[in-house]
Amino acid sequence: MDNASARMPVKPPTTPMLGATAQLSAVDGLQLGPRAAAAEAQVHAPADNDAALIAAVRRGDAGSREALYHRFKRRVYALAVRIVGPNDAEEVSQEAFIRIFRGLEKFRGDAALATWIYRLAVNAALSHRSRRGTGPQPEADDDVDAQVGAEPVRGDAVLRVRIERALARLPVGYRTVIVLHDIEGLEHEDIAQILGCHVGTSKSQLHKARGRLREMLAADGITAAALENG
Amino acid sequence: MRMKSGAGCKTYTTERLSAFVDGELTPAEGAAVRTHASGCPDCTATLADLRALVTNVRALDVPEPPPTLWPAIDGALERRERFAWLKISLWRPLGIGALAGAVAVVLVTVTLPTVRARWNRAPAAPPVQMAAAPVSDPLLHEAEAEFAQAAAAYERSIEKLRALLAREEARWSPQERTRMAERLGRLDEVIARSRELARRTPGDSAGNEQLFAAYQQKIAFLAAAVHRGGESGEWGKPGGRRP
Repeated sequence: MDNASARMPVKPPTTPMLGATAQLSAVDGLQLGPRAAAAEAQVHAPADNDAALIAAVRRGDAGSREALYHRFKRRVYALAVRIVGPNDAEEVSQEAFIRIFRGLEKFRGDAALATWIYRLAVNAALSHRSRRGTGPQPEADDDVDAQVGAEPVRGDAVLRVRIERALARLPVGYRTVIVLHDIEGLEHEDIAQILGCHVGTSKSQLHKARGRLREMLAADGITAAALENG
Repeated sequence: MRMKSGAGCKTYTTERLSAFVDGELTPAEGAAVRTHASGCPDCTATLADLRALVTNVRALDVPEPPPTLWPAIDGALERRERFAWLKISLWRPLGIGALAGAVAVVLVTVTLPTVRARWNRAPAAPPVQMAAAPVSDPLLHEAEAEFAQAAAAYERSIEKLRALLAREEARWSPQERTRMAERLGRLDEVIARSRELARRTPGDSAGNEQLFAAYQQKIAFLAAAVHRGGESGEWGKPGGRRP
């Protein structure tokens, strides 16, 4: 099943960060063209493989379910971790995959398989969250402080923890969109399908989410300079 | 929320600058932002913040699912499928039985005046003729066929459950297997008596209903025994004890 995982599209490589001190030269480089192409590849390129895998699962071929699981496990689990928190992520992922396998007979291919799976995973996570009435459990402050105080700890590890913590404090609507767009690399058209909203709503939510996240990080003493040095 | 981009500049909101970062503005709007930012330290700083934020968010770790996740999913799917056929098998004969019961009720309602008239005309007629007469009715033949079909479906469900139970029984002690055989034997006796009653009273749905109730009792007993497996528990009764 590792072969299936290996074929799973990966996020585009990140580029070195530019800080607030980078003036006009930074402005011209701000648009994220390559990301769109990479996200497009991530969602749409494996369509042929997806069709074969779906057919195999429908036929009941041995190992086909597990292959599908391995192809999408990281995406589903990561989404669950960030929407409901690490404590409930396994339960939500299990529920999402059960919905996926039960619903695969009815999957008509109107959307890409990945988009459809994201939709079921998001629904499972949001249903779980509404049942429990809780948001994700952000890392405890002690954990972060322990990492800050520990040696040797790379600064970017602490920064990542702080960003995760800020993400967990975002309203769930903002958080879901920023996870789908900025972390999972989906396009707004796909996000709109997943969430059942307009493309404009997805864009608007994302930009508001980033603004809120920036405020939270700034309140936590994290600015672009800190991000750059992280 | 309309958050301004910087402490001083109110020209563009953070949301607008975020849209610029993503290349969502028209070429003219993008050029305007670029021109403005070239002379505005606040907006340039906000743009740098947003880009650094996006870059860092995109670089967040992808958590690895625990190794227990797939076995849990696989097990849950297997359990669902294991009992899905049972659910279908139980409902199908019940549906057929209900249909057959409805047919029987219609038959009785329709034929009762005729039967009463015959009784009134020939009070000395032996009861056996009453029982035998409706058998020649095509509708009754049809109803009997439906009953037989429902009974066969029950039998198939019982066979499947017996096969499942046989695997569980392999782990039991001889005493437990003996007790199970005794209880199944008693249920089989009830089924046999009900079947005989149904056979002797064609056209009377009560006999078939009793037979179907006996089948259902055995199916519930077997299903509980299969489901509980090695757990202690009296089959068919939640929280009970194994024989």
